[in-house]
Amino acid sequence: MTLQEQIRSNRFRSTIVIGGFVVLLLVLAALVGLVLDVSLGAAALVFAAVYAIFAILRSRSMVARMTGAQEVSPSELRPLRRLVENVSIGAGLPVTPEVRLVQDSAPNAFAAGLRPERSYVGVTTGLLETMPKRELEAVLAHEVSHIRNRDTYLMTMAVVFAGVIALIADLGFRAIAYGGRSRKAEALVAVLALVGFLLAPYAAFLLRMSLSRRREFLADAGAAEILNDPEAMALALRRLELDATTVRYADASTAHLWVESPTDRVDSERRGVLALSGWFNTHPPIPDRIAALEEAGGFQLPDRLPADEPFARELEDGSPGSRKGG
Amino acid sequence: MTWLWVLLGVLAVLLAVLVYGYNRLVRLRNEVSTGWANIEVQLERRADLIPNLVEAVRGYAAHERGVFEEVTRARAALQEARTPGAAGEANEGLTSALGRLFAVAEAYPDLKASENFLQLQDDLTDTEDKVAAARRYYNATVMRFNTTVQSFPWLLFSRPLGFREREFFSAGEDTEPPQVSFAAASP
Repeated sequence: MTLQEQIRSNRFRSTIVIGGFVVLLLVLAALVGLVLDVSLGAAALVFAAVYAIFAILRSRSMVARMTGAQEVSPSELRPLRRLVENVSIGAGLPVTPEVRLVQDSAPNAFAAGLRPERSYVGVTTGLLETMPKRELEAVLAHEVSHIRNRDTYLMTMAVVFAGVIALIADLGFRAIAYGGRSRKAEALVAVLALVGFLLAPYAAFLLRMSLSRRREFLADAGAAEILNDPEAMALALRRLELDATTVRYADASTAHLWVESPTDRVDSERRGVLALSGWFNTHPPIPDRIAALEEAGGFQLPDRLPADEPFARELEDGSPGSRKGG
Repeated sequence: MTWLWVLLGVLAVLLAVLVYGYNRLVRLRNEVSTGWANIEVQLERRADLIPNLVEAVRGYAAHERGVFEEVTRARAALQEARTPGAAGEANEGLTSALGRLFAVAEAYPDLKASENFLQLQDDLTDTEDKVAAARRYYNATVMRFNTTVQSFPWLLFSRPLGFREREFFSAGEDTEPPQVSFAAASP
C-alpha cells in the first residue's frame, strides 16, 4: 500500500464516518420529532449542526486545552524542534508541525490538527526525561505518521460527531424521562426511542474506538520506515510499557490521541460501563505492537533496555557545538 | 454476438487496468520528484554554510590553503551534480573534505572556542541530519517506484510510456530501505 493510497483510504473512511454520523444524527432528530415534537426535532438538528461546525473550527485549541499542551517559543527547545523537523523531512511532510509541551511526568505524546499544515505534536516533559534521543525520535516519527496518514483528521471528526450525538441523546433522554407527557398509545414509541437514545452514544463511542486501534499499527510501521529503524520504535514502546506513571490531564475523550493509552482510570471506567473492555480499548496491547515491529523488521528486542542518557540531559547542556560536528 | 460481448468485456477490463496502472505510476513518480526536491533543498543549505565555515577557519589558519581549496572544490562539485547518484557521490566527497577541515581546526583552541565557529559547526551537523532524513524518504519513494515499474503487469507498458527506474541517492550502506510493509503490521 503506497502512502498516497493509505491517505486516500483514510480520506474515504473519514467521508464514511462523517456520512454515518449525519445519518445517525438524522435518525436521532427524527426520533425526537416523533416522540416529542417535530419543531423540537428540527431545532435539535440545527443546534447539532451549528455545534458540530463550531467544534470542528475550534478543535485545535480544544484539544490543546483538554491535554494541557502549551506552546513553546521558537527560541526554546531547539534540539527537540530539530528532531521534529528531521522526522517530518523523513516522512516527506511539506511543513514541520509545531511542538507543544505538556507539563506531566508521565512519558507520552500525541498529535492533533485537521490539516498537516496546521498540526502540532504534543510531548510530555516526562517523555523527554525518560527517552534517549533514538527512541524519542521514534515516538515523534509515530506522531508525525499520524499527521501524514491523516489519522488526526479522521479522529478529530469522529470525536466531534460522537460528542454531538451524545449531547443530543442526553437531551432527548432527559426530555422523555422528566417530560411526563406520554400517553398510553405512545408508550411503545417511547420505549423504542429510549432504546435508540441509549444505543446511539454507544454506537458512536464504539465507532470512535475501533477507528484508532488499527491506525496505531500503521503509525508504528510508518515510524519504522521514516527512521529506517524499526528497533527504535520497539524499544520506545517497551520503555513506555515499563513506565508506570499515567498522564494526569488525560480523560477518556482524548485517550485515542496518545501514543500509549494514557490512563488506567479510563480502562476501569470502561469496564464499569460494559464488560467488553477488549472492544473499547483505544490502543492495541503494547506487546502486540512490539511483536508486529519485530516481525516486520526481523529482529529480537533485547531483554534489557539500553541505558542511554535521556534526551532532557541533551536539552540542558544544549549549547551549540556541544554535539560533535564534522 | 456473444464473442463480441466477451471481446468488449476483455477490452474494458484491460482499459481499467491500464488506467489504474498509469495513475499509480504517475503518483509514485511524483512522490520521487518531491523526495528529490527535498534533498536538493538540504544540499543547498549545506553548500551555503561552507563559505562562512572556510572563512572562519581561514581567520585562524590562513596557511592551510590546500584544505580550503579542497573543500571549495568539493562544494562546487556538489552544486554541479545533477543526477542523484552524482550528487550522492559529491556529497560524500564534501563530507570527507570537511573532515579534514575540522581536523585542521582541532589544532586551534581559540577557533574551536569561538562562538561563530561553534554555531556553524552546529548548523552543519543539523543540515547533515536533515540530508540523511531527506535521503531516507527519497530512497523509500524510489524503492516503491522502481518495484512497481519492474513488476508485472506494469512493466509491460511502463517503459513504452517513459517510466524509467530512478537512481538511489548516495551509494552508502543503507541504500535499500528495509521493507516495513503496512500489510504485515495490520492485525
